[in-house]
Amino acid sequence: MSIWNPDNIRDVAESVGIASLHKDVADNLARDVEFRIGQVLEEALKFMRHAKRTTLNIQDVSQALRVLEVEPLYGYEATRPLRFGEASLGPGQPLFYVEDEEVDFEKLINAPLPKVPREISLTAHWLAVEGVQPSIPQNPTTTSTDSSSLLPRGPSANPHLAATSGADNVSVKPLVKHVISKELNLYFDRICIAVLDASNEEYRYAALASLRSDPAIHQLVPYLIQFAAEKITHNSNSLFILTQTLHLLDALLSNPSLYLDPYVGNILPTCMTCLIGRHLGTSSDTPQSVFALRDLACSLILSLIKKYSTSTVSLKPRVARTCLRNFLDLHKPLGTIYGALIGLTKTMGKEGVRQLILPNCALIDARLVKPAANEGDERKKFEADMVIAAFLRALEVLESNTGEIKEGLNGHATQEKREDYVKEKLVASLGEVLGNKVFDFDKQRPEFVEAVLENVKGLPSPGD
Amino acid sequence: MSGPAPPPGGPLSRSNSLGGPQNAGLAGTPTIPPQGSQGPGPPAGPGSQQNLNQIVLEYLNKKGYAKTESMLRRESAHQDPEGKPVFQKLEEEGGNKYFRSFNLIKGWVLDDNLEIYKGELLRLLWPTFAYCLLDLVADYYPRDAEKFFETYHEMFTREHSEDLRALSRITLPEHIQASEIAKLYRNNKYRLSITMMAFHSLLQFLESHLEEGGKIIMNIMQSHMNIMTIDRAKASSEYSISAMLHRGSTEQEMPAEDEGIPGHHPGSANTSLNAPEVLPKVQLGPAQRESDLMEDVRADLEKEDAKNPPVAGRNTLVEELEKTIKREPDDDTPNRDAVPLPPSTQRDVMMEVQKIKENRDRFPIPGRTGGVGPGVSVVMHTFHNTFDSINCIEFSGDLKLVAVGTSESYIRIWSIDGSPLPSAPTSTNPNPPPSASKRLIGHSAPVYALSFAPSTSEPDPTPLDSPANATSPRVLLSSSADKSIRLWSLDTWTCLVAYKGHDAPIWDLSWGPFGYYFASASHDRTARLWSSDHIAPLRIFAGHDGDVDCLAWHPNGSYLVTGSNDKTVRLWDVARGTPVRLFTGHTAFVTAVAVAPSGRLLASADEGGAIILWDLSSGRRLKRLRGHAKGGVWSLAWSVESSVLVSAGADHTVRVWDVLMQTPDSISAQPGSGAAGGKASADATTAGAGAVGKVGDAAPGGAGAGGQKKTKGKDVVVSSDQISVFPTKKSPVYKVEFTRMNLVMAGGVYLP
Repeated sequence: MSIWNPDNIRDVAESVGIASLHKDVADNLARDVEFRIGQVLEEALKFMRHAKRTTLNIQDVSQALRVLEVEPLYGYEATRPLRFGEASLGPGQPLFYVEDEEVDFEKLINAPLPKVPREISLTAHWLAVEGVQPSIPQNPTTTSTDSSSLLPRGPSANPHLAATSGADNVSVKPLVKHVISKELNLYFDRICIAVLDASNEEYRYAALASLRSDPAIHQLVPYLIQFAAEKITHNSNSLFILTQTLHLLDALLSNPSLYLDPYVGNILPTCMTCLIGRHLGTSSDTPQSVFALRDLACSLILSLIKKYSTSTVSLKPRVARTCLRNFLDLHKPLGTIYGALIGLTKTMGKEGVRQLILPNCALIDARLVKPAANEGDERKKFEADMVIAAFLRALEVLESNTGEIKEGLNGHATQEKREDYVKEKLVASLGEVLGNKVFDFDKQRPEFVEAVLENVKGLPSPGD
Repeated sequence: MSGPAPPPGGPLSRSNSLGGPQNAGLAGTPTIPPQGSQGPGPPAGPGSQQNLNQIVLEYLNKKGYAKTESMLRRESAHQDPEGKPVFQKLEEEGGNKYFRSFNLIKGWVLDDNLEIYKGELLRLLWPTFAYCLLDLVADYYPRDAEKFFETYHEMFTREHSEDLRALSRITLPEHIQASEIAKLYRNNKYRLSITMMAFHSLLQFLESHLEEGGKIIMNIMQSHMNIMTIDRAKASSEYSISAMLHRGSTEQEMPAEDEGIPGHHPGSANTSLNAPEVLPKVQLGPAQRESDLMEDVRADLEKEDAKNPPVAGRNTLVEELEKTIKREPDDDTPNRDAVPLPPSTQRDVMMEVQKIKENRDRFPIPGRTGGVGPGVSVVMHTFHNTFDSINCIEFSGDLKLVAVGTSESYIRIWSIDGSPLPSAPTSTNPNPPPSASKRLIGHSAPVYALSFAPSTSEPDPTPLDSPANATSPRVLLSSSADKSIRLWSLDTWTCLVAYKGHDAPIWDLSWGPFGYYFASASHDRTARLWSSDHIAPLRIFAGHDGDVDCLAWHPNGSYLVTGSNDKTVRLWDVARGTPVRLFTGHTAFVTAVAVAPSGRLLASADEGGAIILWDLSSGRRLKRLRGHAKGGVWSLAWSVESSVLVSAGADHTVRVWDVLMQTPDSISAQPGSGAAGGKASADATTAGAGAVGKVGDAAPGGAGAGGQKKTKGKDVVVSSDQISVFPTKKSPVYKVEFTRMNLVMAGGVYLP
């Protein structure tokens, strides 16, 4: 903290012939010197302030010394601020000194006289006429000063007052076309092309990396998000474009220097489309890649929620509502059901699974999964499997931290009897396919089945 | 380290039924347990203090010497097995105790506390911090003091940067005696208002944590603070709910009006604890002029009216006079004999006539009507090639001259229109060349303030019987760091008088509204009243705890307002020389003060860029105008109607403020019903002040809904009552002034 440290004191002591100075003395002296310097500066600042200056000069300090009844330092008077030179004593040890020009006396005498400084002169101009600042050369141009920072803002600002000062058109300015520099325009074009460039992987990754880290692209954010939304709505059959667009959004979201709060509302529908869209990709795409896309969208939504649910409180409910609606709509294809299911599981957690998914298991099982699973179509069968897997994953959520494992079911002594009971119960509450699937786990992971049973206990038996 | 000794005359000495070693407890005496003792033998060496005690205790216990035993237990409790003292109490921990204590209260205030009390309890932290630091220094823990400052000062930099700067260097006990601020804090109690509930929960908390530091805080509160408890429910009190609510909304934005070192009842200058709640009465009405003078003025105005009848729709001059001047002496008018003035002259009559004329013909600035603010015109006078050597700029009342005081100790005067200044022939130069500017040389140190004698423009046409330049200022006052005030003649351009009396540089100076008297403010912490015909001061206004930085006269000439380094603004009774009001709330040095022409309102500005409006009669804060950047507001000026305030400062701007508009910063507690109403509202020119209350009440609620978001850091918040802002080209503006015709004159220095 101390600027004037004991070493300085010792140096000074040595210079006046005191060879050894006790450490405490040096310490104390150093503190005292610093305090006195502070006192002088305090006074000097008063003189600076009353001279309506913002830089302290030598005169202020000598005036301060005079006021403190200390003899002022002579020989330092200068009308211009002192120039300090810097010399290095070693690494990290700069030494500052007053730069004193050496002047050759002979030269000084023979040199032509310096120019006489110009006289102080006075000019007058209109700073304002009836509340409006005229734009004359004597007044600063509106562009040179950021006039918006000078005016009151916020809901309580009085627009009439601003209007009378002739500054009203300034606040309207944002309505004028958003001007983006040429460089940014070029960057935007390139990025759009690069991200969707199917042929060059390196090109794509470079673009995404740039979006992820570039701090200067804030101006482009609305355009990029608009771009993403457009691409997704018009290219629902191209998995590549959809995936790339999601990656683009992900890159934007992970850029630490962007402020995306206002755009969350625009990003969300784009992601939702990829999560629960009816038809994604074409029939030539493998079903796996479609589900991968849904998974990606789901995780993106999850990170959105994690990051912005504090600022956009309606975010989570909105996602959950949309997912639930799709989940319960039996006319939706299995893909949509899958998306809704993982969306619900991830966003709502255990409680969501218990309240929203479990009661509807049996219904969906009967209406959608069972017919699909028993169908010959390879593709349909795969989709059904994926949905079942999603269900199982959802049920797995229940298992986590349900507490200690109970030993067997109450009152069912024999293993066989118990198995029968469990199977029956599972099938009844979860549906035939799903119930059996869960039951298959009984051997390896009895805890899991236990947890599911625990949770389905309270459920009323489904109507059909 | 002596062992616990049995109390003299204790039970031991008397009950000696057994011939055992009665001096068992005495240290150093090798003690052998009595034969009968079968207890667990001491495993360690007999020299161990603890063992010794153990043995003796057992013995005493066995013998049933309960009192002696308890005494021994108590006395040996503070020692560890090695016989070293155990620090059980915080007091014994040295400098560290302040860290723990402050951490304790900081943690409580910031986190474990009800949200509603947080705002007011936060205010407690600053004095606690300051006193902890000073106590650390006083107890000679220099290193701990430095560490303490480093650890905690961050949170106070917003509001107390000046104090922090001064406190940061205080590390040795001697510094406390040498440092102004330390002395101020140590010798005074910091006053703070806390609501009842918050105070009780605070006490409860501290009492339950006595050992963890509560005691230290309690001590500090008892010895250094003066905590006033306010009842939240006491709505009738002026500073209660509404003030509290407002403080809550702009949490930690500014201190309460009664907080701080010169703690006082809001507005009252009486800082004693049991100061009466009733403020001393101030008579803020316009001055009562000499009747002879008024008769002459009336006669002249009648003549004028007859010669130049007013255009349609305008008042005659006499009517104007009736409106502004004529009134019966009443409660609100200061007694004319209290501050006597010399008999009026023809010059006074001419000036009064001219003032009436100008008042009638002025550009009217109405109060806010129809939501549109008034358009103010500003003429900017810029000085070039100054090399920052100009300290002050002053315009003369007749708007013909402008004077500057420089760091180079001279004064220079220009004619504003560039016409040559009249110069009297001197012996050396009988025919001086005409020049538009003059230098006045005489001071021996930088000139910090100038003041032209009151003047008006020449009547038009000039009456035949009057001498030329009858109403020009004729004289100029200047003050300087050389501790003198000089009076200069503007006819001969020479120094007439040097007034000496101040013991330090003189920062500010101003002629009274009617001439003859003038006041000065100085580094020696006093303001003084002088009259031009005496070389010694007539009154000394002492009371400020720091330099008196600026001053302003009340328009009726009976009161003086001073602003100071100690962040307070005071109102003084000129005749008695006593303070009648004290205004606290600034968080930086006060740089400018100005009293409204209506006489009811006061504006003061500080180095941090905040301007605060005060009601003089109730002594309460009305609102705070924010917008200026840090660096000082150098000048303030009121429009004739007292409805518009203009400020100028180091941030290169001139700003125009709406005085009447209510903002979230304004305190909705209306000024006391006493003086603000009454006569004033009947008077057209002073309607402004009376309207404050009315407009405030009628203002839509939207303005009050906490629209101001507090932004941390450099971003300056502009409050919504700023009408307009006029930036200049790299020219800090030193002076603004409203003419009597409502034109703003601004003076600045171009500093490329």
